Amino acid sequence: MSGLQAVYFDGESTDGQPVTLELDARQLLHVRGTGCGIDLAWPLVEVRVSERIGASRRRLYFPDGAQCETADNDAVDALFEGRVPAASWLLHRWESGLSYAVAALVITVAAAWVAVVWGVPALAKQAAFALPAATETYIGRDALATLDKLVLQPSKLPETRQRELRELYARMTSGIQGAATYRLELRQGGRAGANAFALPAGIIVMTDELVELAKDDRELEAVLAHEIGHLRQHHMLRLVMQNSAAAVLIAFMAGDLTSLTSLAAAAPTMLLQASFTRDFEREADDFSLDYLAKRGIAPEYFAAILRRLEEKKRPGRKDGASDYLSTHPSTRERIERARGKI
Amino acid sequence: MSELYRPGEPVKLQFTGSASEYFRIWIVNLCLSVLTLGIYSAWAKVRRKRYFYGSTLLDGAAFEYTGNPVAILKGRLLVLAVFTVYSLAQHVVPLLSLVLALVVLALLPWIIQRALQFNARNSLHRNVRFGFNGGKMQIFGVLLVAALLVPVTLGIGYPWYLAMKRRLFVENSRYGSQRFAFSATTGDYYRGAMKISLAFVGFLAGSIVTLGIGLLPFYLLLRAYAEVVLARLAWRNTTLAEIRFDCGWTVGGLFGLYFVNALGVMLSLGLLVPWAAIRTARYKLERMTLQSPQGPAKFLAAAADDVGAVGDEAGELLGFDFGL
Repeated sequence: MSGLQAVYFDGESTDGQPVTLELDARQLLHVRGTGCGIDLAWPLVEVRVSERIGASRRRLYFPDGAQCETADNDAVDALFEGRVPAASWLLHRWESGLSYAVAALVITVAAAWVAVVWGVPALAKQAAFALPAATETYIGRDALATLDKLVLQPSKLPETRQRELRELYARMTSGIQGAATYRLELRQGGRAGANAFALPAGIIVMTDELVELAKDDRELEAVLAHEIGHLRQHHMLRLVMQNSAAAVLIAFMAGDLTSLTSLAAAAPTMLLQASFTRDFEREADDFSLDYLAKRGIAPEYFAAILRRLEEKKRPGRKDGASDYLSTHPSTRERIERARGKI
Repeated sequence: MSELYRPGEPVKLQFTGSASEYFRIWIVNLCLSVLTLGIYSAWAKVRRKRYFYGSTLLDGAAFEYTGNPVAILKGRLLVLAVFTVYSLAQHVVPLLSLVLALVVLALLPWIIQRALQFNARNSLHRNVRFGFNGGKMQIFGVLLVAALLVPVTLGIGYPWYLAMKRRLFVENSRYGSQRFAFSATTGDYYRGAMKISLAFVGFLAGSIVTLGIGLLPFYLLLRAYAEVVLARLAWRNTTLAEIRFDCGWTVGGLFGLYFVNALGVMLSLGLLVPWAAIRTARYKLERMTLQSPQGPAKFLAAAADDVGAVGDEAGELLGFDFGL
């Protein structure tokens, strides 16, 4: 071991002295100034060394608070061979090889994929079913109040029609386990157009526009069954939880992004949201089709209302219906699924 | 080599980091953070900072970062716990979340003080630590101006707040036992704000004329301009004993940097984040100069004090950054 060039800083002032470090046979590390009077020796075991990180400067710390700074990383490694903790040595090895970098990239992407596509939904499901009923009621009431203020109007349907729909709904839920606490809210859709949705705490909102679009009450029954399917699985709550969890996860992993680049990181969250939604729609569709089968209602009724909603959304007749459908699986696919159940 | 800052000659900061090297460090540490469910991220952060500090040279000697990952992990867990309780309480016991928010607000000056102390104390050059001596009441005063005066004056008080914040930060920062000094006046900040406001009008006009297509480039241009104005104002008025600082960033240079960074990061789906970080550090650091007209300077270390990392993380999460 000959001549490791470094600069010696005593820790008391900014003055630095160029020195040469040399290890003797008794494992004493000699620090000798090249142009000044420094001549020190420390047992090597008492000298601490900083971790090697890329080609950045390395430091040797002496027990008295002084240190040496050097760019000669290989010489430092040779000097401390066998004394550097395994973790630190391994880390540097991983950070040096391109194959390790590629492996790390693959593992990171795969782990993130598993976490977001599988882990987050599973956790959200657990959480949604475990949430106290009072909390869900609070969230559901809050959501309906917000919608009432911003979008929805009280229903303009005749009183008799409203009663008919409520009776239809009551007949439906009396046969479904756990549906006793769910309730139907009739509203004029406004910007939301022909629409139905399931809010947390068992609230189903159906708009006048949807009621008018249906040619047969069995079509509405199919849509309501679809919404009950959402409620049974706490879909809305899970969607909210999943989206926030995924956003937090992505923000965390993109840790040192600047504000500009985090803009780009928001895109995957939006794509994920659409995919979460599609899975839930399929689940709700399946529930609805099962329900129809049990009641002896042909699945064509479901297909028919879906087709009419799709027609409403066609270009040239653009209205509120489009945003109901955009997050759903393609209508053709859903109609075909409905037919497949015959 | 032995003496810092020769007389007269401006000394440039030098940055020796490389994108290919940092990419490997970044991805390995990100991978470990993900696999440990985030626990390792405290170590990753320290490693990242050590790499950047250790690659920044001033007159031949590198900077050093000595933050303790365990302290940072504790800080993160505390912040996470408070945040979780807060968001759960919002739905279950709204009153508790309100109380919690008030408590955090009351502790804010303390949190910021700790964050600034932690960051300064763990930064070294030539084995001499930086430090921060600002008091809680001073920080409270700046926050009060930000929270009360700025909204009441519809933003007209904002340059005052900026000047006050920078002065508090610079005048309480020290290198070893030597304090930094700050000579910019509130008036200087108002003049700077006037220039930025004019640039903002240009930004609006440009965005409208190009029918919104120019929104992103014009925004970057505005941001670059504002950053250059404020950085020059801050650095040209900062002194450390005899040493003067200068910041040679230009609007065009910074704009090109941000534009290419944004493009690269977006097109690579985030893979070029480390490359962008290295480019930014190189541009910003290598255009900083120091000058000591009177001759070589020597600074003495100060007696040390220990600070935990709770403030470091909390300050980061709250986005409150005094920005050196």
